[in-house]
Amino acid sequence: MMKFTLLIAQFTDLSAAELESWIDAAWVQPEPAGASMQEWIFHDIDIARVRLIYDLRRHLATPEDLIPMVLALLDQVYELRCSLHDVQSAIQAQPSSVQAAILAALRRG
Amino acid sequence: MDDPYQILGLKRDATADDIRVAYRKLAKKHHPDLNPGDKSAEEKFKTISGAHDLLADPEKRGKFDRGEIDAAGAPRHSERQYYRDYADDGGRTKYRTNPAGNAGADPDDLESFFSQAFGGRGFAGGRPTPPANRHYTLSVDFLDAANGATKRLTLPDGKVLDVTIPPGLRDGQTLRLKGKGEPARNGAQAGDALIEVSVAPHRLFRREGDDVIIEVNMSLREAVLGAKIQVPTIKGPINVNIPAHTAPGTRLRLKGRGIGQGHQFVELKLVLPTGPEPALNAFLEQWKPVHEFDPRAGLLDP
Repeated sequence: MMKFTLLIAQFTDLSAAELESWIDAAWVQPEPAGASMQEWIFHDIDIARVRLIYDLRRHLATPEDLIPMVLALLDQVYELRCSLHDVQSAIQAQPSSVQAAILAALRRG
Repeated sequence: MDDPYQILGLKRDATADDIRVAYRKLAKKHHPDLNPGDKSAEEKFKTISGAHDLLADPEKRGKFDRGEIDAAGAPRHSERQYYRDYADDGGRTKYRTNPAGNAGADPDDLESFFSQAFGGRGFAGGRPTPPANRHYTLSVDFLDAANGATKRLTLPDGKVLDVTIPPGLRDGQTLRLKGKGEPARNGAQAGDALIEVSVAPHRLFRREGDDVIIEVNMSLREAVLGAKIQVPTIKGPINVNIPAHTAPGTRLRLKGRGIGQGHQFVELKLVLPTGPEPALNAFLEQWKPVHEFDPRAGLLDP
């Protein structure tokens, strides 16, 4: 968990205004803990997401107007993986004969 | 750490732009958050970032080039939690298009079951692992890429790979060496070595598809009277005829002298005498062309 100002201080070249614009655009959604953004609380996943957006902008040179698209696609990838995890757990809870049958069916694709 | 130039597939004389472009290309490919299913992405990304940090800083790069620091002196990238570590831990987060409840997913890696289904591996007898490929980058000369060559790649473990560069190889193409990746183990086949090749630009030649373009200077006398000149091609110099009365910008085609079925084009540029030429001035002042014409006809028309 981290406050707005502390998070900003982790980066050499991320301004408060830029991070605020990311929050305004809902690219990152910290938890409001007061009236001003400066008091918002960033959980670990929010911090990691800020770093991801930072990497996309600074290191990978992703244009600003493409960030929503990239994030939307990434969110879908992670969501799909989450669903696949669930399917996987459900399958792994089955008797091995059922697992083998499912695998065989998948391979026939 | 290995040679940062090799990691980024760069030559020693790479410019700051070359470094940035090479870094971005590899970072886009290997950023861990863009590769949630690839456990090795984090290590690769760290290696790439380390190489970039060293080469992007002119002072550090200079020290490295002079041998004052080795690549291990590059700043360490401290352990970092990536977004995927949270978003891909099997739980559901707020960054979802459809925030359903947590169905108690297994945090085991997703690949374990599905790779058996989609990797075409046997199911009986434990948990077979898919073959592991290894990724390398290699920078080759323009001429080696055009004509084909064999390049020796020394791997971090000291082994040596002879990489055959097929003639006409393009910048960014990936070569696959079957069975030269991770060695076979626990029922997994040996992986492949995947070598991404970047082609260094050439001082004289540039490539357009399978054609090779070269700019060649001609003198005023050669342009007017014609001349026989020697021009380099990717397979060595050949004689080329400049016809009399050749305008600058003319492209001469050397049939079949390009890459594969391509041609080489010679773009002729006019170079005036470097010093004053009184005789030429005197001639031009009293010269009356047979065909008077306006080289800027129509330029000022609305």
